[in-house]
Amino acid sequence: MSEVLLRFENVSKIYPSGSSHLTILEELNFSIEAMSSVAVVGKSGSGKSTLLNLAGALDRPTSGRVLFKGDDIGKMGDKELSLYRNRHIGFVFQSHILLEDFSALENISIPALIMGESARVAKKRAYELLERVGLRGRAHHKPQKLSGGERQRVAICRALINGAQLIIADEPTGSLDEASKEEVEHLLLEMVKEEKRTLLMVTHEQALAQKCDHLYLLQNRGLTLV
Amino acid sequence: MTTSISFKIGGSPLFSSWLFSHLLFPSKELIYQRRRLLRSALLIALVMIPLVLALIFMDGMMQGITDKYILLQDGHLQFYNLDELDDPLVQSSDLVTSGYGIIYSRDKSAEVKLKGVKEDYFNSQRCAELKIKEFKAESTGSVAQIMVSETLLKELNVEVGERVAFILIPEGEQKGVRPMLAQVAATYNTGYYELDSSLIFLNYEVAKRYLPNGGRSYLEVLVDNRGSGHLDELGERLAKGGSWASWDQFNRTVYQNFVTSRQVILLVFILILVVAGVYVASVSNELIQDSFQAIALFKALGAQQKSIRRSYFWAVMVVTILGIALGLVVALVLGHYLSPILVWLSKQGFEGLRYYLLDFKVVVAYTDLLFIVGSMVIIASVTVMFTLKRIKEISPLEVLQQD
Repeated sequence: MSEVLLRFENVSKIYPSGSSHLTILEELNFSIEAMSSVAVVGKSGSGKSTLLNLAGALDRPTSGRVLFKGDDIGKMGDKELSLYRNRHIGFVFQSHILLEDFSALENISIPALIMGESARVAKKRAYELLERVGLRGRAHHKPQKLSGGERQRVAICRALINGAQLIIADEPTGSLDEASKEEVEHLLLEMVKEEKRTLLMVTHEQALAQKCDHLYLLQNRGLTLV
Repeated sequence: MTTSISFKIGGSPLFSSWLFSHLLFPSKELIYQRRRLLRSALLIALVMIPLVLALIFMDGMMQGITDKYILLQDGHLQFYNLDELDDPLVQSSDLVTSGYGIIYSRDKSAEVKLKGVKEDYFNSQRCAELKIKEFKAESTGSVAQIMVSETLLKELNVEVGERVAFILIPEGEQKGVRPMLAQVAATYNTGYYELDSSLIFLNYEVAKRYLPNGGRSYLEVLVDNRGSGHLDELGERLAKGGSWASWDQFNRTVYQNFVTSRQVILLVFILILVVAGVYVASVSNELIQDSFQAIALFKALGAQQKSIRRSYFWAVMVVTILGIALGLVVALVLGHYLSPILVWLSKQGFEGLRYYLLDFKVVVAYTDLLFIVGSMVIIASVTVMFTLKRIKEISPLEVLQQD
């Protein structure tokens, strides 16, 4: 049996809403095995992004524990959380979120520089990743000079550069045209598999969700394995 | 608990320096950001230039005026016991006599100080402080010959060689005033209106003859220590129990005015620097505002607040320091030409300048400059650090607002 990489134990997330409270997730329990791919589907507003934010340590649960390799993320201080995100999490957002003022190469290098790698090492790794996604020739192009699919490929490279064990993808093909969708889907799943990473993905695309090892439906503030 | 997650707390200096270099040298496409940095440095330089020029003007003028008062009017020390002084610190010791009176031309009058001096009074040191011009000594006999400033001659509407009348004011218990006729034999110009408009030189022997009671005689002494702090000690020692006065005691009001003006101006400088500091803070604020999403992304990717703050802090401070350095260089270069510029402006009819000493040597008070620069850097640092607290408030979740 594979090692459990991420575990949610009785996790609830409640947001204050005026004088009352809005419960997004309630007593959520689930775990993700290392090197597996998990897709979460659900209606808009069902709490998919909240789930990813908690897994990615961008937010803290109101109650319960989120454990990464057994360590409670909720107990970490801000500095430890920053390091956790930098070393262990790779984010792929719906609209890529690349910095417009920086080239593709620089955008990919940022997590490595944050980790403390020298610019030379960071660039070398970024070039290797760009090579793998077929964008080496576009290394010095700014995001506005890249197509939607190319930007998302750059974002995937950025998520992988630090050797993060958990890749969190929020609607990675949501803003792409049909041709690019297929290309990015294929690339993401292939690279995660090749690199032996774990994927937690939220998507509306049934076809993409079906390609993952496990598929969960998020509804009524809870997860159901489909 | 497993030990799978290893943590090393501390911001990455490599990331900080990378971000710092991008903030300081934005890519060529980012014209607005480039212009903003340039504009900020220039504005800081523009604040520094008038401050430094004002300091150079103030110090140069004050030093110049002080030197003129000391060398031409009062000396460093005055001793009323007229015995010869023998001390290595004494540069020159001149027997002089002085009195007060009112000078009359055909249609004007002015209150003046008459100073009787011997021929060797105008040594090289004193001659450096004034320009003696025309000399006409055609008249002899009972008419005293005097040297009047060009300023006073102009005010009295008198030409060199013409005669003027005096009413000499008695000293002490003596009653009645004494009239005197004199011929303007020479003119001088120190460049300082206040001194020129009231000081008249004449021969010591003539002054002794005409001034009531022979005037007030004393030894006017120049010493090689111009610091007023040591003058009291020296005066006490040289006077050997006799009465004496130092120039700053003699011109207490003038001296105090200088000191007070300087303190007030330095205080005004600090207030201007605070305003400049607020401007620097606004630059920093603008920079953060523009990078709001980038900062959120850096945080989401694991950058520590400390690293981000360090980059922004140094980027703003480098711009500030460059602005200060540019301002200093420009001001020091301009400062060396300040005196001729002011003299030229005065000649172009800027009446307000006539009361200032415009022909002065450039004095750069490096300690005060250091104080101004240091204050600017400290004020900017504090205001920038205060502004950078905003970075803490930017949540990594903000990155999803783009999404």
